[in-house]
Order: sequence, then structure tokens, then C-alpha cells
Amino acid sequence: MNSNLRKTIAQIVHHSKEGHIPSSYSIVDIINYLYENILSFDCQNPNLDSRDYFILSKGHGCAALYVVLEKFGFISAKDLEQYGSPSGILGGHPDMTKVPGAEASTGSLGHGFPTALGLALGLRIQNNNNKIFCLMGDGECHEGTIWESANVGANQHLGNLCAIIDWNQSAAQLLPEDDLPARWRAFGWETHVIDGHSKEDMDKTFPKLKFSLEGRPKAIICKTIKGKGVSFLEGHGIWHHRIPTSEELHQIDLELS
Amino acid sequence: MKKLRNEFADTMLEVGSADPRLVVMVGDISHGILQPYAKACPGRYYNVGICEPTIVNMAAGLNKSGLIPVVHTIAPFIIERAYEQIKLDLGYQNLDANLISVGSAFDYGQLGCSHHCYADVSLMSHFKRAQVFVPGSPKEFNALFKQVYSQNKINYFRLTEFNHGVDLDLTQIKAGKAIRIKEGNHLTIVTTGSQLKSAMDAIPLLQNEGIDPEILYYHTIKPFDFNTLLDSVTKTGHVMTVEELSAHDGIFNQVIKSSVQIGGVQYSQIAINDFVHGYGSYQDLCTRLDLSPQGILKNIKSDFPHLLKSNR
Repeated sequence: MNSNLRKTIAQIVHHSKEGHIPSSYSIVDIINYLYENILSFDCQNPNLDSRDYFILSKGHGCAALYVVLEKFGFISAKDLEQYGSPSGILGGHPDMTKVPGAEASTGSLGHGFPTALGLALGLRIQNNNNKIFCLMGDGECHEGTIWESANVGANQHLGNLCAIIDWNQSAAQLLPEDDLPARWRAFGWETHVIDGHSKEDMDKTFPKLKFSLEGRPKAIICKTIKGKGVSFLEGHGIWHHRIPTSEELHQIDLELS
Repeated sequence: MKKLRNEFADTMLEVGSADPRLVVMVGDISHGILQPYAKACPGRYYNVGICEPTIVNMAAGLNKSGLIPVVHTIAPFIIERAYEQIKLDLGYQNLDANLISVGSAFDYGQLGCSHHCYADVSLMSHFKRAQVFVPGSPKEFNALFKQVYSQNKINYFRLTEFNHGVDLDLTQIKAGKAIRIKEGNHLTIVTTGSQLKSAMDAIPLLQNEGIDPEILYYHTIKPFDFNTLLDSVTKTGHVMTVEELSAHDGIFNQVIKSSVQIGGVQYSQIAINDFVHGYGSYQDLCTRLDLSPQGILKNIKSDFPHLLKSNR
């Protein structure tokens, strides 16, 4: 578990008075794992043609993306300090026209995944072997465009595309019939279910995925805990979009230390 | 007479054969006529399915990968149903696409309001990077598409089912530039797309009443050619717009903006105010909405009675 990244997330949200901490804690281990172990990139040349793509479709978890982009050199510590400020480039949802390494401007749910779908198709048309990963929320899977895209992705045999679903049970609060693995399998995706906070599980899965220009797209359903790592942030309550006080920030820091 | 939709297919073949970046995606329409393009450009034609928001969103991804997407389906499905995708995935993300619709305002008159689209031009005009075209003849579409398709813009082409029948000089067809079809002195008629035919057919009716109209034709709504309008209205002092567009935000508004500095100009508008309920042919609906030569004369009699020779 990435405690230091979580501490930074809490700090920048506290400082800017904007952000979704529990949603970010839910996905930060996955994003960090991908940049550390899977994705090909050059932080000095974020638009390198041969790079792999990571699209954060659930844009409200962007604090997790930002701290990872800073860790891997796309943006600076000063950028993080200026998160949510008029002088900065980082806001409550990522803007790809401003943030090096942010591959899509997301926020309204259900957009990043179809963008990834088009990107995967476009790269295949040009016979390029880049891999495309797209992380979306389980609640986001309520959106129709997710299933339109799942349908198209399977029928177009986009073997260069990998969907990652943050299955933190947000969706089940509203629609309890929530068997995401069965649904992705039914749509024809090669589906794996793992613990989204376990490096061991991710090691067993992500490196073994077979990417190809023509093949089955993959769906990695990650069981996660919203607010993972800090007891009073975990679960589905008032902390979804709440800003910690200085005392609460101190408590978060203590629990993560 | 060649249909614009057939010209669309021929133009895709022509441009796609020369430019390997062009990729055409459709929502299960025009599939048959696009087969020559599909055969000539393997791997660059997709009948994606009935999922218009995803198709528009995919266009953003295709463009991000370096390709030039064309998205084609019926106007309300591409512009109104997928408007958030146009706004965010193309507009906000600063990505480019060519959106090409058929059906226009109510070409599918027999199918009811679900297949009508009155606000497409207005909606697309909100984006600074958008260019909006309503060509009324095949020659215009071919020329305009080739001029702009790779310009790093969001291009919207509203294709009409019915050709206006005026044989335009190819050298006059320039994106963003209106065409003065006929010189006149008493009144400027501003029109777009198929309605140029109504304006042309109205000429003898108006001349019979002693009115000499000037006719301006706008195949490009955005960017709007303010100067041509200004020149004409400065001379005539009277403007009528004849448009298969929303009365709330069509070319009438552009005309007002263009001429506000002149002062004393008198205006008349024939446009679409609300859902066009009921069924009928395209011509039936045009007649009901005064989008016809007789409708033009009727509105001139009511809005500009002093122009009639009998009242001078």
C-alpha cells in the first residue's frame, strides 16, 4: 500500500480545499503499479508516439493520478502545491490540454472509456503496438456509453485495450445487482478479478496479459476499498467530497505512518 | 439530380483514396453507398453500430491517435443525442472531427419529430473551433469538405436531402464566404441549404409585386460572412431570412449582429419555432411553415407592405 502517495493526496486536497480523497485512495495503488511496472513512457516527452496510454475515466479520482505523475516526473512538486489554484495546472478533474501525462480530460462519467476505445482503434489502424489502459469506476459502469463501448470493443477485437474497473462497491449502493465480472465476461472481454490494493495480485495479472492488435480486449475488475488505508475515510459516507480539517489531516497522517 | 448523400459517399472515396488519415464511422446508415470507399480504403470504414455517443467519443480517440475521423448519421442522433460528447470529447479536449449528418431539419417528414433536428446548427455554433456548413448541392459539399476536413477544427456538415437546383460557379464556393446569387435593390433575402430554391422560385412572384430582391446564399453558417450581408443590407434596408433552422438561434441572429450598426433596418424571419408535429412530405412541411415561394411572398406582404408597388 502506498502510504506516502496517500499522505500527499490528503495534503494537496487539504491545501486546495478541493478533491475526492476516498475515490483517490481506492485507485492509487493501481495507478502507481501501472506506471512502475507496466506502462512504457518518457516523462520528458509525454507525447512520445510509442508510449502506452493510461486514461483515468473516473476523473474525480485525479489526485491519485497527479501524485503518481509527480512521482514519475511528468509534473513537479510545485504543480502539486498549486493544485486547485488559479496559477496551477491541476484541478478537480484532469485537463489533458494542461497536464503533461493526462491522456484525457474527464469529469463527466462515461467519456474516458470511449475515448480509449477510439484511441485503440486508431492505433490499430496505423499498425502501432501501443497498449491502452483505461480505469473507470464501478459507479461509472452505470453509464450507457460504458456498455456501448464494451460491445464495440469486443466486436472490433481490440486486443490492445485493457479496461480496469475500480470495484469499490459504490455502484451497489444504488443498484445492488452488481455482478460486474459476469457482465464483462458476457460482453466478451477477457476478465480477471483481483485485489486492487495487492501488488502480489497485480503482479500475477498485469504482466501476463497478452496484448495484440487483433484479439480479445481485457477487463481487470479490481476489488478495492474506497478510502483504503485510513479507518475513518473507508466506506461510503460523508467523506466522498469532504475536505479534512488540519486536525483530521493530522489523524490521516498518523494512520498512514 | 445527384443527392448530397451520394456525393458524400463519392467524396469520401475521393479524399480517402488520397489521404490515408481519413477514417469513416457510421451509425448504420449509408452503409451501401459507402462500400466503394470501404473497398478502396480497407480498415478505414466502420459501421460501428447504433451507439451515437460512443461513435462521436471514438472520433476523439481516433483523432488523438493522429487520424482524421468522419462521423455520419442522422442529424438529431449525431448532434443532439451526442452533444455532451461533442462538447467534452472534441471541444474541451481540443480534438478534431468531421461530423456529417443527413435528415436536415425535417427531411424525414413522414417519420415524425424524433427524426427532425432544428437546433443542430445553433448547438454547433457555440464552439469557437467549430465550422458549420449547410450545403444545398453536391458540388458545394465536395468543394467545402476538401477545403476544411483537415483543418484542425470541428466541422459540421448538415446535408440536405433536396438539392436547391442552382448551378453554382465552383470558384465561388469558398468556406466562410457567402454567395450573392442575384443583385437587387429593395430587399435582401438571406437563405441557406435547400431553401435557396424557395428564394429563387419567389423571384417572379416578388417582381410581379414590384419588388426587386437581392439573394444571398450562405452554405457556411460559421464563420458567418458578415461583410457580404452588411454590404447588401446597407443598400436595401430590408432583410428576410429563410431558413430550416431554429427561429431562436439561426441565421436570423447572425443577420441582426451583422447589421446592428446600420440602424433603421427592417427584418423578417421564416424559420422553425417549435416541434413540427404531424406527418407529410418535406414539401408538405415546408408549405406549412411558409418555407416556400408563396410563404415568402405572404410574409413580405405582412412584414414589409410598403415595398409592394400597390402601396407605394
